[in-house]
Amino acid sequence: MITLRDVSKTYHRKKISTEALKKINLQIEKGDIFGVIGYSGAGKSTLVRLVNYLERPTSGEITVDGKHLAELNPHNLREIKKEIGMIFQQFNLLESKTIFQNVAMPLILAKTNKQVIQERVTELLAFVGLADKAASYPSELSGGQKQRVGIARALASKPKILLCDEATSALDPQTTQSILDLLKKVNEEYGITILLITHEMAVIQQICNKVAVMEEGNIIEKGSVVSVFGKPKHPTTKGFVQTVVKNELPFSIKTKLKKNQQQKLYRLDMIGDHTMESIFYYLFHTFQLQVTVVFTNMTEIQDSVLAVWYIQVEGEERNKQQAWSFLVENQVNVEEITI
Amino acid sequence: MFDTSITFGQFIQAIIDTLYMVGMSLLVGTIIGLILGILIVVTRPSGVVEMKWIYGILNPIINIVRSVPFIILLVAIIPFTRGIVGTSIGTTAAIVPLIIFISPFIARLVENSLLEVNPGIIEAAEAMGATPFQVIWYFVLPEAFGSLILSLTTATISLIGATAMAGTVGGGGVGDLAIVYGYQRFDTFAMVSTVIILITFVQVIQSIGNALARLIRRN
Ligand SMILES: Nc1ncnc2c1ncn2[C@@H]1O[C@H](COP(=O)(O)OP(=O)(O)OP(=O)(O)O)[C@@H](O)[C@H]1O
Ligand SMILES: [Mg+2]
Repeated sequence: MITLRDVSKTYHRKKISTEALKKINLQIEKGDIFGVIGYSGAGKSTLVRLVNYLERPTSGEITVDGKHLAELNPHNLREIKKEIGMIFQQFNLLESKTIFQNVAMPLILAKTNKQVIQERVTELLAFVGLADKAASYPSELSGGQKQRVGIARALASKPKILLCDEATSALDPQTTQSILDLLKKVNEEYGITILLITHEMAVIQQICNKVAVMEEGNIIEKGSVVSVFGKPKHPTTKGFVQTVVKNELPFSIKTKLKKNQQQKLYRLDMIGDHTMESIFYYLFHTFQLQVTVVFTNMTEIQDSVLAVWYIQVEGEERNKQQAWSFLVENQVNVEEITI
Repeated sequence: MFDTSITFGQFIQAIIDTLYMVGMSLLVGTIIGLILGILIVVTRPSGVVEMKWIYGILNPIINIVRSVPFIILLVAIIPFTRGIVGTSIGTTAAIVPLIIFISPFIARLVENSLLEVNPGIIEAAEAMGATPFQVIWYFVLPEAFGSLILSLTTATISLIGATAMAGTVGGGGVGDLAIVYGYQRFDTFAMVSTVIILITFVQVIQSIGNALARLIRRN
């Protein structure tokens, strides 16, 4: 749906040039909810603004829905923008217009017939749960409601893609949740591909199926959300993952363990739906091991579960080795931990 | 106190003359000022349709005209005025310099009002695939409307001040009455009453402007 090939963007301001993006390669498939995460200044906004050509790349190639953006004339470029909806952190609604008029705006620009506008806007306001606010003005709405209007407006021209630049960053956690649920509904009911920018890993965790991590204009890691959350490689990614996946040994437990350090500590990591109970059953019965769980955590990601177990084990060394092989065969990562 | 040489008829005529000069020059000046103001906003660097040469010509012209004091402008363009309205004296003739005086002023006020519009709104418009004309017409102008009304109120009040000087070319009007009778002939009644009329004008116009702007902005 969206492809970026070797895309770079350099800004020139007052003789200072900033390399906002450095040879980015990215592929977003139809139906994806693709999350891009990174710290401030990483180049995330620049990246989305390239997809609807609000900004032109310095070099590289961008294709949207099979069309090379660089080859389109201004008219065709405006046409393709109608297939790409966008929502913003600050909502960017017209304060001087009613909610109805705001949502109708893309249709008015396309010179749609009044009757059709009436029907479409009514339908969209119902979809985002604001049917009763048609005649209100943006200043009379809460942040969450304003973002719903933004979403309805972005959907008015029946886009194939929705771009969200920090769409929930100005909202409280509960409102964020409801907006994310709405975005998921947009993805599922209309089949719209979503490219979402955020600096909160929790947002990625809740709705994305794929993620790219950005740092200083580079994509340092990308993949399915389950795999990136399960096995983050880059330190920055690890930092982001740890904000939602609490899989490190808590400090209080560490200090307790340090006091009596006779026993070895193992960390078991697993992704997926096979239950831990059966694994403990095998450790106990087949391998005759005595297991003490020191700490555990499970985090739900997509339809999967990330689980981590810190255990101490008593038993024969030979059995232990066999048990570890068995675990690895069952996609459980085993690691000896030194505190 | 009531020892005055102005007749009631002169008062009425002066008020009519002032309203005529202010009204006409405001009408034409608003049209020119809006066009110029919009042009310098859209053509400026990083504007909606960046065109450096248009901006580079208009911007200094506006500054130059604005820096000429009205009284000098009035005299300096007499040949031009005569060329346009056939005479350089009288109420109609006064309208020409008034328009030249007020248009660049309105252009600057319009520029300020349009630049105040949240850039995010323009970004949203461009993301929707709006043409440059649509960006201005459907997004920037409606958002700036309240502010534009206040700008025009300010321009109207400046015009009332300028019409007083238009008396110099026989423009007439309330300000002229104040200068000719009140100031030059020491007619206290003329002085006080014309000043009261001017104050009333300014007050009424400012109140109307504020009320309209509030209505548009709805707060
Ligand atoms: N219009 C511009 N002119 C010059 N430099 C810019 C411009 N826009 C962005 N930059 C620079 O490009 C870099 C990337 O900016 P960008 O806005 O893409 O970051 P971001 O990841 O979205 O950050 P944030 O989380 O703060 O929104 C920054 O160093 C920024 O200063
Ligand atoms: Mg940003």
